[in-house]
Amino acid sequence: MTNETSAAPMTTVNFMTWVKDNLPVVVVSVFSIILFVLVGLKGGAPQVFNVLVTGGMWALLATGLALVFGVMNIPHFAHGESFMVGAYVAYFTFTPINKFFLTTGSKFLIYSGPILAIIAAGLAGCVLGIIIERIIFAPLRHRTKEGWVMNAFLLTVGLSFILVNGTTLTLGPNFRGIPRYFDVPSLEFMGAFIAVDRIVATVIALITIGSLWFFLRQTKTGRAIRAVSQDETGAQLVGIDLDFIQTLTFSLATGTAAISGASLLFMFQAYPTVGLTPLYFAWYVVMLVGLGNVAGAIVGGFIVALLQSATQLFIGLSWQSVVPTVVMILVLILAPSGIFGSEVKGVQEQ
Amino acid sequence: MNSTATYEEKGTAWGKFVSFLNKIGFSPLGFFLLIILALLPNFYPFSEEYIVRWLIMGAFLAAQAVAFDFTAGYINIVNFGFAALLGLGAYTSGIFANTTPFLLFAPGLNPWLTIWLGAIMAGLVGFVLGILTLRLRGIFAAVMAWFVGIALMGLVNNLTELTRGPLGMNPVKFIETPNNLPYFYIILAMMVMIYVVLKLVVGSNIGLAFKAIGQNPDAARASGINPTKYLVFNFTLSAFFAGLLGGFYAHFFGSLTPSTLMHTSKTVEVLAIAYIGGRGSLWGGVTIAFPFVFFIEFLRSNLSSLPGLHLVIYGVLMVTIMIYYPAGFSGFYFWTVAKVKTLIKKNK
Repeated sequence: MTNETSAAPMTTVNFMTWVKDNLPVVVVSVFSIILFVLVGLKGGAPQVFNVLVTGGMWALLATGLALVFGVMNIPHFAHGESFMVGAYVAYFTFTPINKFFLTTGSKFLIYSGPILAIIAAGLAGCVLGIIIERIIFAPLRHRTKEGWVMNAFLLTVGLSFILVNGTTLTLGPNFRGIPRYFDVPSLEFMGAFIAVDRIVATVIALITIGSLWFFLRQTKTGRAIRAVSQDETGAQLVGIDLDFIQTLTFSLATGTAAISGASLLFMFQAYPTVGLTPLYFAWYVVMLVGLGNVAGAIVGGFIVALLQSATQLFIGLSWQSVVPTVVMILVLILAPSGIFGSEVKGVQEQ
Repeated sequence: MNSTATYEEKGTAWGKFVSFLNKIGFSPLGFFLLIILALLPNFYPFSEEYIVRWLIMGAFLAAQAVAFDFTAGYINIVNFGFAALLGLGAYTSGIFANTTPFLLFAPGLNPWLTIWLGAIMAGLVGFVLGILTLRLRGIFAAVMAWFVGIALMGLVNNLTELTRGPLGMNPVKFIETPNNLPYFYIILAMMVMIYVVLKLVVGSNIGLAFKAIGQNPDAARASGINPTKYLVFNFTLSAFFAGLLGGFYAHFFGSLTPSTLMHTSKTVEVLAIAYIGGRGSLWGGVTIAFPFVFFIEFLRSNLSSLPGLHLVIYGVLMVTIMIYYPAGFSGFYFWTVAKVKTLIKKNK
């Protein structure tokens, strides 16, 4: 990751030590490149685009997960439920809006319907995040910090249970989906037909990640968030309002997950346990790159998507949850703090 | 049920009996409640078939909570693959007892034998899991167990020639009988056995070592405890009993599917019971499991128009207890006992 210092031409010795120091990254990169070439050869352009689409979405989900862990030290098990809420909000916004817009016949309005639905989902996710943080995590945080990581983890497990079954209770176990957001023919690109929805979903994922990145890097509040993730006490000393930062972080993470749930509504229909698969993959990503590593999560999203596509292609669709799991078990054994070796505020001790 | 109480009347027959009970992990009150529980299905309304079924489910959940708490409450690692280990035991037992020819493998052994094979299989995987989690702590160990559980469930889903995958398999039953009462006594015996064995283990020096490792592995290592040995032993034993319970499930319900048995949400149900009951007590989960199953089944049968309400209540209770009363029911019990004792002392 930190390769900026080597402005001078790299000698072989230098290179070898660099490889040795970053062995997990090198191994995973080489492996990914080989896999990418193999997937490209076997599956052609459609598979490559598939990797990009799913990779973007896993990256977006994992960024939220990594952010929550990095700043608040919460291993978020209910992240998939934010995805689920996003999908539901998008469904219930999009269906009536689209019906109404279709009667007006204006092309602009019809095409802006999906965007409105996704924005609504994102806002709903942010609000949900604020509510959850204020009701569940703030009381525990003020009570005790002892054993925080595990307790927070179990709390999110209970939360996921409540959200999933609460949804079943109020909306029933039915599937609610839409065939497509944009009723236009697929685009042809290098001999492959790609649905416009997929392209839009990828673009939305990249825009969201980009703006999140800009927010964290360039704004004052974003810098405060990063300061809290590095050193809570220090951040408090320079006058950062911890409560505000933590609520904001949680709401951002929930909001981004809701956005990805909304923009993938055409792939994942809305039903109570829809969040489980995305949750699995988001967790694979953060375990691969190290808990709390936001930058790594973006790269990791694409690596995991690649692994998933390769499994589908070479072994079979039904194995697509087994093979990545086994790979992640290996990663956990060989490099427990992820391939980039990130260390988060003494998590190992808790 | 706490073994710390002192009894002055040692030497008398009653005193001897009490100290024996204490040794195997029962207080006189706990033993009395257990006897009541054992006699319960002989009296109306508990003799109704559906209530006996609830009692069976209660005992099944209680035994699971004991085996789960053995890891979570003592060594402080949440075994998130618990349900998958249980399912592994169930499937192993079901396959070895299988007599139907449509599967790849039909040895048709006696289910009384195969539940032990299932337990050994689960114990072996628990052994491996213990080794895998050796270097990991807290959340990393939980995630590792979770991933292993997902992998196991995926494996069962995909080895269709052996397990019929998502279609599910139908293992033979223990005994061909229309009523549930014999099964109640089987699971009750299993529950008591698991409780007594695990209580004996945690009551010995091994239990002290577990607690030391659970609180601070480095300090435990510094004081001469070998964490490797104890961790792996703990995981193996917990998984062994999980597998045994899985065998009971297979030959009682007579139907196995990966998603109803090995799913993470099943682990969460056990976890909720163990946490509401109180960590690190073993018996807390048992006392909670029975009223809980009754309450939830009552809700389910009376509010069938609201599916999932009982699970929402599960979650809300768990979250509330985690935030406001982390000691759980056993903590509440000990607190009450201590309060009563100080009151008596004051009045003397």
